[in-house]
Amino acid sequence: MERIIAGFVAALRESGIRVSPGESLDAVQALALCGMDARRSSRQLLRLTLVKNVNDIAVFNEVFNRYFSRFHYVDPESDVPALMDAAIIDMEGGEFTYLNQQQGDDHDDHGPLLKLDSEISPEDLAELKSLTEIDPDDTDGTEIVMQMKGYRGKAKKPPRSTRRYTQNPLVIELNKSDSVGRGVTFSPEEQAAMQDVVSRMMLRLRKDMKRMKNNQNRGKLHVIKTIQKNYRHDMVPFQVALRRKRREKPRLVVLCDVSFSVSHASRFMLLLLHTLHNQLLDVRSFIYNRDISEITDMLANMPVNDLMETIDTGDIVDLDENSSFGQVFLKFKKQYLENLRGRPAFIILGDARNNYGDANDFVLDEIREKARYMLWLTPEDRDSWSRGDCLMDLYGSYCDRVEVVKTVDELSLFVEDLLRDIYADKADPLDRKKILEAKAAETYDPSDYYHRGESSRSEPVFDPGGRGHW
Amino acid sequence: MITEQGVKDFLQTGGYIADDAIATAVFLALRMEKPILIEGPPGVGKTGLAKALSSALDFPLVRLQCYEGIDEGKALYDWEYGKQLLYTQLLRTQLDNYLSVSSDLREAVERLSSEESLFFSKNFLVQRPILRSFLSEKRSLLLIDEIDRSDDEFEALLLECLSDFQVSIPELGVIEAKRKPLVILTSNGTRMISDALRRRCLYLYIGYPDLEREVAIVRVKFPDLCEDLARQMVAFLRKARDLNLRKPPSVSEALDWAQVLSIMKATKLTPEVVANTVGVIAKHQTDLQKVTDLAAQELS
Repeated sequence: MERIIAGFVAALRESGIRVSPGESLDAVQALALCGMDARRSSRQLLRLTLVKNVNDIAVFNEVFNRYFSRFHYVDPESDVPALMDAAIIDMEGGEFTYLNQQQGDDHDDHGPLLKLDSEISPEDLAELKSLTEIDPDDTDGTEIVMQMKGYRGKAKKPPRSTRRYTQNPLVIELNKSDSVGRGVTFSPEEQAAMQDVVSRMMLRLRKDMKRMKNNQNRGKLHVIKTIQKNYRHDMVPFQVALRRKRREKPRLVVLCDVSFSVSHASRFMLLLLHTLHNQLLDVRSFIYNRDISEITDMLANMPVNDLMETIDTGDIVDLDENSSFGQVFLKFKKQYLENLRGRPAFIILGDARNNYGDANDFVLDEIREKARYMLWLTPEDRDSWSRGDCLMDLYGSYCDRVEVVKTVDELSLFVEDLLRDIYADKADPLDRKKILEAKAAETYDPSDYYHRGESSRSEPVFDPGGRGHW
Repeated sequence: MITEQGVKDFLQTGGYIADDAIATAVFLALRMEKPILIEGPPGVGKTGLAKALSSALDFPLVRLQCYEGIDEGKALYDWEYGKQLLYTQLLRTQLDNYLSVSSDLREAVERLSSEESLFFSKNFLVQRPILRSFLSEKRSLLLIDEIDRSDDEFEALLLECLSDFQVSIPELGVIEAKRKPLVILTSNGTRMISDALRRRCLYLYIGYPDLEREVAIVRVKFPDLCEDLARQMVAFLRKARDLNLRKPPSVSEALDWAQVLSIMKATKLTPEVVANTVGVIAKHQTDLQKVTDLAAQELS
């Protein structure tokens, strides 16, 4: 039995589920306690002991069905497990309906697509596939590649082979409910992946933030409270009560381009803000295309997908217009610049393609006077910054920093860096020194960030719907 | 000797309808003396399972509610400084006598420090939930509720307790559990629990129950509610869960609703009934509208 379990555990690991030796020992012990008289209960025992994450349950079921069934897979190398497999299947008797049902459940969510697949001949499929590969949606601009690193297990890996067809017009017609063109909302996988990036970022930030928050809370000795608190200790001040300092959240103003060319980057940015909002920062968010509009309240009060849908309907800013940075800046100055308080940090996300309108770069100069820090994030490569209608060189000269971001990871890193800086500004001088020192000691290499100190392993590439290569 | 079916049965007597996975998990946890980590959406009976178990098994329930900033002083043990001070005050004369024998200061300090263990003994130890459940004479049930609300540091603190059932107190040494308690950890998944902790536990995911089980749960709690209404109600709630609400109605909402309906002496679900009681099942303003729309669509 140990060998079967070991083989099964190996199969699980191959599918990306992390199983420790201790857990496989648990599994053996559990099976010994309960016996293996029914397939169903064995499955439950193994699942209880081996799978420790909801997202891995689907993969577990798949591996279980594959491993413990003589129709799909019998380990050719060793005879003993094979025999035992057969024995288990014999014992399980007439439970195949359960197995079939389970498989049906797993693939339910792509119903119409599966039907379509079965009607198309393999040659057609190959043709379709090559079509999408050769002719990726040829829209302008660079797309943020959702390259997810770090362990997620294959469970979260999107079912690529089926999803890829949704890009194809043929299928989209049949499958209208799915996103058309502009990738209207996040798919659950995308959302989960983004949440993942954000939560990891939060985790890294949290320690610093907590320390700084604690320090912010500490002020001078609160004499009365200290005496009250230590009354029972005969006035020996064992516990000290300190006055609270007024806590101030760092302010951030974000301008997000939602035009088609950078929509994915801005979407991720919005999600990032959605998560950060109220937790660490006082954020004011704006979206713009030709027009600019504030969405701070909506970010705070709406589910993120609803917000994306509202943006996509064009009710907030018209998406069909060409983006015009000059006009946007002018309007921003008119409507909002006056009432920005407390030296916020500015992040502008956009490709600076002005469609040959007025640059109006003097507004940026005024913003810079009000801002603590200005960061411009662009998906354009440096050598095209002054090419065509791109005004990045001009605009960039007003910013403290201009960064090229192409992946979600990079984006989250820059935002994280900025947050650190902002917090360091707010922190005590002593703490600030510590943080800056720690930062200087770090050799900064964004591409290596997630792998520092880990062994290199091949990571699943996150690219639902083949959007990675526009 | 307990069997899985036995677990199911005695949970039922405690008013908890368990499915196979839950029964197996409880059975294994009892036999293997391993903690169970339960995850799932809010209100599906994670904490309820622990309560039902404690009453069915007659294990005293020791509950530790986690929150941000919880530490060992709140979870494991603490020293009673006040009492220690009080004792030194009261024993001052005895101490004077005791120390007067010594000729110089050095000797006095040595003499005093040899008696140090007196002041760091179990007399001055405040037992917090985990230690209390370890030291309980009877096998107890330790419920560590909403572990996802605590910090990483606290999770690390739990590792020793949960794998070896012992608590290390620097002044006293390692204290082992008298009877290993049955430990249940619950999490709503607002934060990822570390793999180290997951590894030490059996992992049980409780999702929304299937139709039959949910009807059974409602019927057990509210026997006077007629079966048809219960079934209709649960079916409606299951549809509502697919609506993509901000807070989907869960089993606890189903129970609340059943109570409301039985108080209102309703015999059949109609759009009006739903509209009147929608506040019980939908907890956000945007959800209210969606649920009433669903009712108008489904029930008329």
